[in-house]
Amino acid sequence: MRTTTKPGFIALGVSSLLAAASIAFLGSSSAAAQDKPELRIAAIIAVTGPASALGAPERNAVELFDKTWSSRTDLPFKIKVISYDDGSDPTKSVSLTRKAIEEDKVHVVVCCTTTPGSMAIIDTVSAAKVTMISMASSLSIVEPASARPFTFKTPTSDKLMLQRTLDYMKRQGIKKIGFFGLEDAYGEGGLKELQNVAKDTGAELAATERFARQDTNFTPQALRLKQAGLDAVYIHAIPPSADLAHEALKRVGYAGPIYHGGGSSINAFVDIGKANVEGAIVGVGALNVYDQIKQENPLRPVLAKFAELFDGVYGKGKVDLFAGQSWDAMMLAVNAYQSATASGAKADDLAAMRVAIKDAMEHTNDWPGVNGVFNITPTDHLGLDKRSTFLSQIKGGKFVLIEE
Amino acid sequence: MLDTLLFLIADGVTNGAVYGLLALSLIVIYTVTRVVNIAQGEYVTLGALSFASALSGTFSVLSAIVAGGLAAFALKDIADRHLTGAMRIRIVLSRALWIFIVLATAWLANLLPGSYWLAVLASLVAIASLGALIYRLTVEPVSGASPIVLLIVSVGVYMVLHGTAVLIWGAEPRSVPPVVEGGVQLGPVFVTYQSLWICGASLVAMIALYLFSERTLTGQALQATAVNRTGAQLCGIPVGVAGQLSFAIGAGFSALSGLLLAPLITANYDMGLPIGLKGFVAAALGGIVEYPTALVGVLLVGLTESFSAYQVSAYRDVVVYLMVIPILLWRNAVRPPETHGN
Repeated sequence: MRTTTKPGFIALGVSSLLAAASIAFLGSSSAAAQDKPELRIAAIIAVTGPASALGAPERNAVELFDKTWSSRTDLPFKIKVISYDDGSDPTKSVSLTRKAIEEDKVHVVVCCTTTPGSMAIIDTVSAAKVTMISMASSLSIVEPASARPFTFKTPTSDKLMLQRTLDYMKRQGIKKIGFFGLEDAYGEGGLKELQNVAKDTGAELAATERFARQDTNFTPQALRLKQAGLDAVYIHAIPPSADLAHEALKRVGYAGPIYHGGGSSINAFVDIGKANVEGAIVGVGALNVYDQIKQENPLRPVLAKFAELFDGVYGKGKVDLFAGQSWDAMMLAVNAYQSATASGAKADDLAAMRVAIKDAMEHTNDWPGVNGVFNITPTDHLGLDKRSTFLSQIKGGKFVLIEE
Repeated sequence: MLDTLLFLIADGVTNGAVYGLLALSLIVIYTVTRVVNIAQGEYVTLGALSFASALSGTFSVLSAIVAGGLAAFALKDIADRHLTGAMRIRIVLSRALWIFIVLATAWLANLLPGSYWLAVLASLVAIASLGALIYRLTVEPVSGASPIVLLIVSVGVYMVLHGTAVLIWGAEPRSVPPVVEGGVQLGPVFVTYQSLWICGASLVAMIALYLFSERTLTGQALQATAVNRTGAQLCGIPVGVAGQLSFAIGAGFSALSGLLLAPLITANYDMGLPIGLKGFVAAALGGIVEYPTALVGVLLVGLTESFSAYQVSAYRDVVVYLMVIPILLWRNAVRPPETHGN
């Protein structure tokens, strides 16, 4: 009895599985035939982990994008946003990127929050020929463009920021500077750029001290910097360690000016540091000071619109640079998809579409984003210039633009 | 030069005091239960975060979870068929009182947001109870297992607690106000009042632990369990309760160090592990069993960290963790494994 029913059950099971599969297949193909083509973007963000202070606003902007764009019916295509959290762990960034490319069949990967994560996924996206747009600052993510054809990024580079900062220092008569930064890829990238830019502007890099994001004590390094007899200290870190490094310098009696890199251009920097970071000079993007830049600046309307949208959902004054970085990445992806479709790329051929999007990305002209005006070319995968960077000073808990 | 030296010593001692509380927690737990507790740093995190949320007047979800867990175990205990009616009533009353204290402190801190000491109390009670709960949940079912099993269990606990912290409080760092703002200029060195509080509170906690274990019957019972578990059991000491107590003390001490440290480095879900590991290095000097040697160890770790950060900032953690090797060699020379009991 048993031996006769068993094959019967298996046959029944197999046939029902087949039936289910064919229904699913039919269902999906008929849905695709009726519906508009779909643009799938994976947003892989460090919502948790050491870089979460940056990842949180980025995630908010992606959610905002999802809310405002996915529901739109007036477009000739649909947008699907797939969000992942890589926990600031480059290994996880890679596996999530792979998952997004292979399982979710995305057109564009928006990843990652951190430089180490972005560097880690380059090989994966290049092999799959999928465009990635990074939200991390280091220029080495996109350079050289010939070796990294599918890699783009939205934040202004440390190099541009440092050029502006060091030019300003030079005008202030600052010659001897010290570097106080994180010991990970972000900090080391900043140090490398600082060395290059300092050489160009003629400043002397007299001391370098490092710390880690989880350190409990910053005083010893601060003491060392104080004793180096510097004209200014440049801190290259993200909150909260950027705040703690700043406080340590003040505590040991260092009285000179303290400069910060783009990592500190975030509201959390002021929220955590409070009165202790008053007077800090921070390299910022246009978004931090959007209501202070000149009316005729082409960025102003874009910035005002985004700030209004973001603050409307998350509360007044919540908008900051990092929200803008993921927002620009998403918008650039949409823009590239539209131009790719306009130039005749077929939506049903995923591989061709992915390459077409990358080609379209490389022909982004005078595109005003939140981070600046993008002019992306096949040789320049950042596309921003000095107009995208500003210097500000913390006054009364606000980023106040330094007029130059 | 002297200024620098004083600065480095002041900071080294402050950090040493924090690691000291951790080292003591590790030793209390290891001696009584034989658990090498990797998760110890997480109690620092949870202490700091629940303190931050109690202070801002939000009812700590953790207190509710802990109360729920305690209630569940109370039910399990009552369900024991061998109990007489009177014993059941005693269990119900004692557990009800415990749960009441956890909830009442959390509720009071919620009612009066910004009251510093209530928030301290609420967070300490919640985390110490959590420690006892973790013991019952993870160690008691495998009590008597080899130390390596217990070690792996604690790694699991670490992962769960780490994730729980993110789940409840999110990943954003929270700034926490110090007990007293500002600091005092001691000669050339500016020392924040918070640093003094850390050193003072650690000292008081250590003295209290010493008095507790030397002068009270419960403390003696705990010591007896540490020296010989079977012997203690034969003398009628409830070993399970001793284990719970050691975990509660350990968790409470670590939470104390967390909420004292939070004003200096902000409270965030990621702060615990490195602090816990440095506590380990210090405790290793005393073989995770000797209190006085561990206290020498914490000063050594704190000062080494401070001075190596000054000399070679890129390698300061390497230097601190490398200390484990000479420490182990030294331990081995002083007390070779052959002489260990059993």
